[in-house]
Amino acid sequence: MSDDRSEIFSRIKGALEPLPERTPLPDYARDLPLCTVHPDFPNAWELFAHKSKQVNGTPLKGLAELAKWLIADGQTHGYCDPALVDKVRALPEFNGITLETEFDRTRFDDFTFGITKAAGVIAETGTLILKDQSTSSRLGALAPWVHAAIVDEADVYPDVRTAIENFGDDPSIIWATGPSKTADVEGILIEGVHGPGIQIVCLDA
Amino acid sequence: MTPKSFQQIDKFARDLPKEVRATVYDGSKSTSEKRYDSIWRDYPETADVLRETAGKVKQHTLEHLDQYLEQAEKSLTAAGAKVHFASTGDRANEIALKLMQERGVKKMVKSKSMVTEETHLVPYLEKAGIECVETDLGEFIVQIDHDHPSHIVKPIMHKNRRQIAKSFEREGLGDYNDDPETITRRARVHLRKKYFEADCGVTGANFVSAESGRMVLITNEGNARFCMAATKLHIAIIGIEKLVPRDQDLSLFLNLIGRSGTGQQLTVYQQFINGPKTPGQPDGPEEMHVIFVDNKRTEVLASECKEILRCIRCGACLNVCPIYRQASGHAYRSVYPGPVGAVLSPLLAGDKFPELADLPKASSLCGACNEVCPVNIPIPDLLLCLRDKGKREGAKNASAGTPPMGMYAMMASQPSAWKAAMRLGYAVNITPQAMMNVVPAAQAWTSVRQLPKWRGGKFRDWMGEHDKDAK
Amino acid sequence: MNTLDRQVPASKSIQLMATCLCDAFFDDVAKATVQVLEWAGCNVEFPEGQTCCGQPAFNAGDWKASRQVVRHVMDVFQGEKPVVVPSGSCAAMGFHGALLEFEKEPDLPQVKQLASRTWELTDYLVNGLGIEKIPGKVSARVSFHRSCHSRGTCTGPSAVKLLSSIEGIELLPFGEQEQCCGFGGAFSVSFPNISKKMGELKIEHVLADNPDILASVDMGCLLHLGGIIDKSGREIPRKHVAQIIRDALVEAGEIKE
Ligand code: SF4
Repeated sequence: MSDDRSEIFSRIKGALEPLPERTPLPDYARDLPLCTVHPDFPNAWELFAHKSKQVNGTPLKGLAELAKWLIADGQTHGYCDPALVDKVRALPEFNGITLETEFDRTRFDDFTFGITKAAGVIAETGTLILKDQSTSSRLGALAPWVHAAIVDEADVYPDVRTAIENFGDDPSIIWATGPSKTADVEGILIEGVHGPGIQIVCLDA
Repeated sequence: MTPKSFQQIDKFARDLPKEVRATVYDGSKSTSEKRYDSIWRDYPETADVLRETAGKVKQHTLEHLDQYLEQAEKSLTAAGAKVHFASTGDRANEIALKLMQERGVKKMVKSKSMVTEETHLVPYLEKAGIECVETDLGEFIVQIDHDHPSHIVKPIMHKNRRQIAKSFEREGLGDYNDDPETITRRARVHLRKKYFEADCGVTGANFVSAESGRMVLITNEGNARFCMAATKLHIAIIGIEKLVPRDQDLSLFLNLIGRSGTGQQLTVYQQFINGPKTPGQPDGPEEMHVIFVDNKRTEVLASECKEILRCIRCGACLNVCPIYRQASGHAYRSVYPGPVGAVLSPLLAGDKFPELADLPKASSLCGACNEVCPVNIPIPDLLLCLRDKGKREGAKNASAGTPPMGMYAMMASQPSAWKAAMRLGYAVNITPQAMMNVVPAAQAWTSVRQLPKWRGGKFRDWMGEHDKDAK
Repeated sequence: MNTLDRQVPASKSIQLMATCLCDAFFDDVAKATVQVLEWAGCNVEFPEGQTCCGQPAFNAGDWKASRQVVRHVMDVFQGEKPVVVPSGSCAAMGFHGALLEFEKEPDLPQVKQLASRTWELTDYLVNGLGIEKIPGKVSARVSFHRSCHSRGTCTGPSAVKLLSSIEGIELLPFGEQEQCCGFGGAFSVSFPNISKKMGELKIEHVLADNPDILASVDMGCLLHLGGIIDKSGREIPRKHVAQIIRDALVEAGEIKE
């Protein structure tokens, strides 16, 4: 195996060696890839909400709103991050909704929604950021039909570049822009393939 | 009248069932339009600057690949991943199998990865007794049909819903139903079980940042997420050309790849991974292994066509290509179809280059591919280079139907002979053979089109008179 | 695509490269080119020894044969004068293609020298001579096929600028305007089925608007499209942009027919 390694490196060196000069890394402006074509909004959250709706995401403001949404949608049994569950249960709006704090993979069908923490959102693209260190269960955030991520106002990033600069040292970061989708069959858009069919981002205001 | 075909791809296009051609044509055309709308809407002034910059970043990376590959290896190792190198596709398969066998893996789930198509990983593992399930909806359908992907982003571009519904019925996935939503839901239910049964998840990667070792996986369906939430072992098989220097460079590529491939601002899921799951996380891989694969990429790097290694597999060049639209992906007889494939496939074929030397001929050199490519690859120039290579190496299938050029070159460098032929043609109103180049070519021309009246020498006469008048 | 820095020429003395297609079939296009250039004040020289630009062999992959022809072109077109070509694709052969096939040749500097003074006609009129407006009137609804070799060059915008400056011309937008017509030189004979399908698609889009003229800056495209149209028995006049400009100038009384 170490043979493969040295072979590959020596072949690369051999391929590059005859080059008379090498292309330098271009020095491009930080905001070159920034997309600025959108209406004005009073704050980054409102831009996020606008962009999120464009990709059929569901932005909500406040946990009470989330409870109302779940009840209106007929959701009664789901997974909730143990660190959030007390706060959620304390809200009267959540009466009648059963929350489990462990995602039991042998009963994965029992959970029709999952509530976990978001590490942030990106306003520019309507994107939700999940990090492994702050996600209580990868499956709880993925397997149920509805996923609701709770985000703090402080974690609303303006754009893709800023979000990248705030990767930190997490080994697994996920960006989700809207619900899971496919257009494999005749180009027709269908949501909810393997991941959530409904992606809620709830601002904990 | 159907003209005779000289080239395999032309034949394939001629014989393609009408229905398939229509499906491919409509799919690629509408995706192209989405790309165009999204990129020019969002970057009305800078779309081309963005493409050119991204191209330079990739070119720079390739021209410093030894440094960046080493840096990526260090970063990944520091973050807790295990890094392997495979000089060939076979070696990559062996390494993956060994990792699985050592851990008693019986079943694996896999997300879409072009490099594993190159290495034929799935048949290799199946032979060794490991159950493999493709989880991308399109790839899943390809797998149950024992078919091949016809597009690098939309593997079943060539199939319509009725064919898919029949396959699902045959596989016991419910009664015949060709509603795309029903098809998708049935796949969801079926594959969900597979994820939970599997012991290993295999993925590719779209990018790897040398700086942090983070590999980026891009999907719309969320299947790669599932592969990495339900299983305990993650094996990522990645071509060595996937590197980019820094995390921040990803802001360029992520903004380009979704728009270029499908017209999305961002693809739904972007995963950035450089190690096994974090301590305390109940779900996901305890081990992450990265296999960097060469499989002739270093040969391409040493060739005149190294620019093709910039490719980020967005599929835009396929969608815009008029030849792809008529012929569909299977016409290219290789893992990579379309303009990118016409360059890459013959190069990756190594000694078997002559077998695929006709691919670079399947282009009118219209340049639409270069115009849409997010990393600005000069595909037409590369196709031309490979045509020259095919000619120099005497590849027969490349020259089929192309008139020989020796006579033409002789005439065109001898003005008196040239002018005489021009006038002779006028006298008898036929195309002199040396001009249109011998019989099959002239036939191929006239089987499709008429030739206008031959007027060789007429302009020269006029110009002579005109110059006299002026004096 | 024209990668070399072009010098805007000081003198209006030019060399005309008429192209092999005009030499063989389309003498009136070459004639119109001369008339238009002379109207613009140019002194047009036609080097008698010219034949072809070398593109057929270049595209066919026979670079050795093509270099032989390009070397002849360099012999014939010597000096410093701009070389003006009424064809986007032959011009691109001069300023781009030839550079590729001479990358490793000792006479690359000469090829570069020729490349840097090679101009497509409408590009030369607009960006070389600064012409913005063509006097005269041509009453016609025109479908302009922007040929592919003009991608990424100044030719497309220049041709459109000149055409739309002519009184009475209405430029028609048509479907999939950016798509290739299917000519592609040797491609048209070695891939006749695909080439035909591409051509028919283009014609379908063009005919949907029922234009008076199908125009282009490349007679290659028009040879192919026209050939399919003629074979199908339909009728639609094809004109090179130079011919339309010439017609306008004649109408304005600026030049004689
Ligand atoms: S060659 Fe360019 S356009 Fe084609 S798939 Fe690769 S990146 Fe996309």
